[in-house]
Amino acid sequence: MENKNIDPKEVYKEYNEKFDKKLMIDHDYDGIKELDNPPPPWLMWLFYFTVIWAVWYLAWFHWFDMGRLQEADYQHEIEEAAQKYKVTAMDAETINILSAEEDLVRGSEIYKKSCVACHGAEGQGGIGPNLKDNEWIYGKDISKVFGVVKNGTEKGMTSFKSIGDEDILKVSSFLLKKL
Amino acid sequence: MTQEKFYYDNKIVKLFTYATLFWGIVGMLVGLLAAAQIAFPSLNFGLSFTTFGRVRPVHTNAIIFAFTGNAIFTGAYYSMQRLLKARMFSDFLSKLNFWGWQTIILLAAITLLAGFTTSKEYAELEWPIDILIAIVWVSFGWNMIGTLIKRRVQHIYVAIWFFLASFVAVAVLHIGNSIEIPVSFFKSYTVYAGVQDAVVQWWYGHNAVAFFLTTPFLGIMYYFLPKAANRPVYSYRLSIVHFWSLIFIYMWAGPHHLLYQALPDWAQTLGVVFSIMLLAPSWGGMMNGLLTLRGAWDRVRDSAILKFFVVGVTAYGMSTFEGPMLSLKTVNALSHFTDWTIAHVHIGGMGWNGFLTFGMLYWLIPRLFNTKLASEKSANMHFWIGTFGMLLYSVPLYWAAFTQTLMWKEFTDSGFLAYPDFLETVTQIMPMYVTRVIGGTLYFAGAIMMIPNIIKTVKSGHIINNEEAHAAPREKVAKARVAGETPHRWVERKAVHFTVWILIAIIIGGLVEIIPMITVKSNIPTIEAVKPYTPLELQGRDIYVREGCYTCHSQVVRPFRSETERYGEYSKQGEFVYDHPFQWGSKRTGPDLARAGYRGGTMFRPAIWHYEHFLDPQKTFEKSIMPAYPWFFDNTIDNSTLKRKIEVMITLGVPYDGAEPDYNYVNKNGDVDYSKVEKAYKTQAEGIAKELQDMGKDVTWDKEIIAMIAYMHKLGKDISLAKLADKKANESKVEQTNPGEVNLEAGATIFANDCAACHGKKGEGGMGSNLGDNFTLHGASSADIKNVILNGAGIMPPFKKFTETEIANLSAFTTSLIGTNPENGKDPEGEEIK
Repeated sequence: MENKNIDPKEVYKEYNEKFDKKLMIDHDYDGIKELDNPPPPWLMWLFYFTVIWAVWYLAWFHWFDMGRLQEADYQHEIEEAAQKYKVTAMDAETINILSAEEDLVRGSEIYKKSCVACHGAEGQGGIGPNLKDNEWIYGKDISKVFGVVKNGTEKGMTSFKSIGDEDILKVSSFLLKKL
Repeated sequence: MTQEKFYYDNKIVKLFTYATLFWGIVGMLVGLLAAAQIAFPSLNFGLSFTTFGRVRPVHTNAIIFAFTGNAIFTGAYYSMQRLLKARMFSDFLSKLNFWGWQTIILLAAITLLAGFTTSKEYAELEWPIDILIAIVWVSFGWNMIGTLIKRRVQHIYVAIWFFLASFVAVAVLHIGNSIEIPVSFFKSYTVYAGVQDAVVQWWYGHNAVAFFLTTPFLGIMYYFLPKAANRPVYSYRLSIVHFWSLIFIYMWAGPHHLLYQALPDWAQTLGVVFSIMLLAPSWGGMMNGLLTLRGAWDRVRDSAILKFFVVGVTAYGMSTFEGPMLSLKTVNALSHFTDWTIAHVHIGGMGWNGFLTFGMLYWLIPRLFNTKLASEKSANMHFWIGTFGMLLYSVPLYWAAFTQTLMWKEFTDSGFLAYPDFLETVTQIMPMYVTRVIGGTLYFAGAIMMIPNIIKTVKSGHIINNEEAHAAPREKVAKARVAGETPHRWVERKAVHFTVWILIAIIIGGLVEIIPMITVKSNIPTIEAVKPYTPLELQGRDIYVREGCYTCHSQVVRPFRSETERYGEYSKQGEFVYDHPFQWGSKRTGPDLARAGYRGGTMFRPAIWHYEHFLDPQKTFEKSIMPAYPWFFDNTIDNSTLKRKIEVMITLGVPYDGAEPDYNYVNKNGDVDYSKVEKAYKTQAEGIAKELQDMGKDVTWDKEIIAMIAYMHKLGKDISLAKLADKKANESKVEQTNPGEVNLEAGATIFANDCAACHGKKGEGGMGSNLGDNFTLHGASSADIKNVILNGAGIMPPFKKFTETEIANLSAFTTSLIGTNPENGKDPEGEEIK
């Protein structure tokens, strides 16, 4: 296909001796010529490598079952976390209300962030019930309040278990002591 | 040889040029608005048609189909005529292509803002427009193939391979993804449900990027770059290799948009491996472009056009490196749902598509008008402002993405989410959102600079609408391969063969991935608890779709602890079987909503909360960036098509026909009985309205807000109710047991719930010790067992939550395990039990 007898200089005014040794003279598309260079070898090797990698990946996960797929990966993460954090649920029955000032300050911070939207800045209520009056729908002791914050209620209170038992206890103590 | 005289159609090229510029400006302006709305939510203006959820699809559609679409036609109509030495096949088809396309764009802008949308990303347009698109797109392809057939050159050039592939693939993708059943003139339901819909949509979505934003632009690159540089194309062989590998592999990569989501593992794996294999073929295009510039680099300094091309092609290389990396599951776990994706596509969109288009137009318009560019200096300015704008747009978004994803995944020392409040992670990145608006504004300013420059250029020259050209007719050559001809060179002179090979190359990937998803049942295991939507919930869902909620909220929880802690149980394939269309979304500007109706979950909010929140999100959370939806409270629900909706859903296999007794809306003849639908609707709606009225809200059952709340409360509801029922059943079982008498069955249930994770389902051990062998670490008497349960031992945590009865039952059950020697048991530990 390539024709080395043709002088590329005749075709391209800006002929570059260094590069254009292999002009394909019969490839002419509206004046655009093509060179017969091979694809850059590193690029071809990159391609072969990705193909080999792909086969290895498929085999690893689906033929040899060596890797953890989605479900297994999740179970692994859960187990790892259980070991790392030794997350022990606080027992609502035996917890004690906190009274240290720093705990109550933390409790008020959490309240501002997570509770005001429904219970109001002063605990006056709104979407959720009033927390200032002395009426507690689900009971006044710390274990009941703790339980409501943690697990929510069927009526619509959101579960706040994702903030962690310690913070739940702090905010519950804050509710009982300060509001 | 005799030369034939013919005329190039320059007028059609001119029209497409103008349309490109016009829609480019419009699309970017809308993009700026959308970006600004995220930074400053008051810019949503409280009106339905100016709210982000509707504006964002207008931006994406305008940039993809209006701006780059017209740029593709500009490049194709100009270059094909010259490369094939022929006028376009039919002036009528050219005009149909032009005016049809502009009509579609106009209709798209109007209907999307009006809320007529399928919610399938980049395929949001409703069915009548889908049909128009198919007609106009086929007129483009027909025109192209017609021109190919009457061409005067023997072989077809690589640019045209890419145009051909784009035509064939986009036609297949568009039709495949748009199969939907009309409900009314403005509303349809896709035939695909849930997971299937997700796979089809991202097969389309990913390959819209491939065959609308990539291959046609490679075609443009292969014509305009060598032309502008006056250099031969670096490697013909590389063209062949990267063309075929690119179009074949691209079609398989779609599932990488769904990694870690409710998709079977095999499909995810295919998405990963084909994305990685896509790297080298993509870079083939970049390298052939950049290496073509060898020997012309000195001119890049002065020429704005070449600078646009160089940065454009480099941006292509960067995006196509980033793409495969983002498809690795580990990276995707961090990047998905964040602004990383947004930054990534804008490197591609602004850099590759935008800059290539600008370079092409700066080169093309002076030639079309037989003049010189009015100001090379202004074009250079445009380049620099655009480049800087692009960086200032994307860098803050990368930063925002890293920040936010790490915040989402951070745990405190005691193992709880460090930022359980989603809003905190949004507030943190607000400065980045503001900065990217500035970046976008700069990029836009560059594009604006282009307009006077082009107007001046056009005014200084004149266009020859029908430009005379001469070429010899195509020589007749043997149909079969001739001696010395490579197989590829042979196919290059056989346009129809070539097209067929393209079709084969692009169709395989999609078929392999989609067909099993639809036909093989095990890919989507059914969940019995999952029920269809009630008519009210269905209407709410359609409002959710209408408002484009999916542009900011996902509805799929990934199996990561950071997500299950934040949102609740991760999503399973079987949960989405009634979803036409699926609503998984691709970005979490707001939190995931898959568990918004999960009773007792962290995402559940009472009706009154939703009421207040939809009315004024900033009143609920001062720093929230969610738009307000005041019209939900004024609009009465439009139930005029509800009967038809139920009928369509029955056609699609949703069991409204009596298969689910609680959702039976048909009469004895099997026809939809609207009175049943209406009754179900009203009963449920009145319940919610009453709840709100009791809280002092002035609302009636027939308002849109009621349907919306019902839909929110449906998300994840079914599986949560099933869980609650299970729990209650267990509790009552334990209570029925006489005190003093142990209940092995109750003990087994406790064991399965609380112990099996560590000790194995059959007590074979795992993280914890083997309970089925004859060895014990801490004693085997019931007192010993009780002590271990209550106080923990070694790595075992204490379980103080159990009652005496529960401990007795559990203790009896674990004692019963001793000596069962379950399979795969852990090695014995401790002392032998005598």
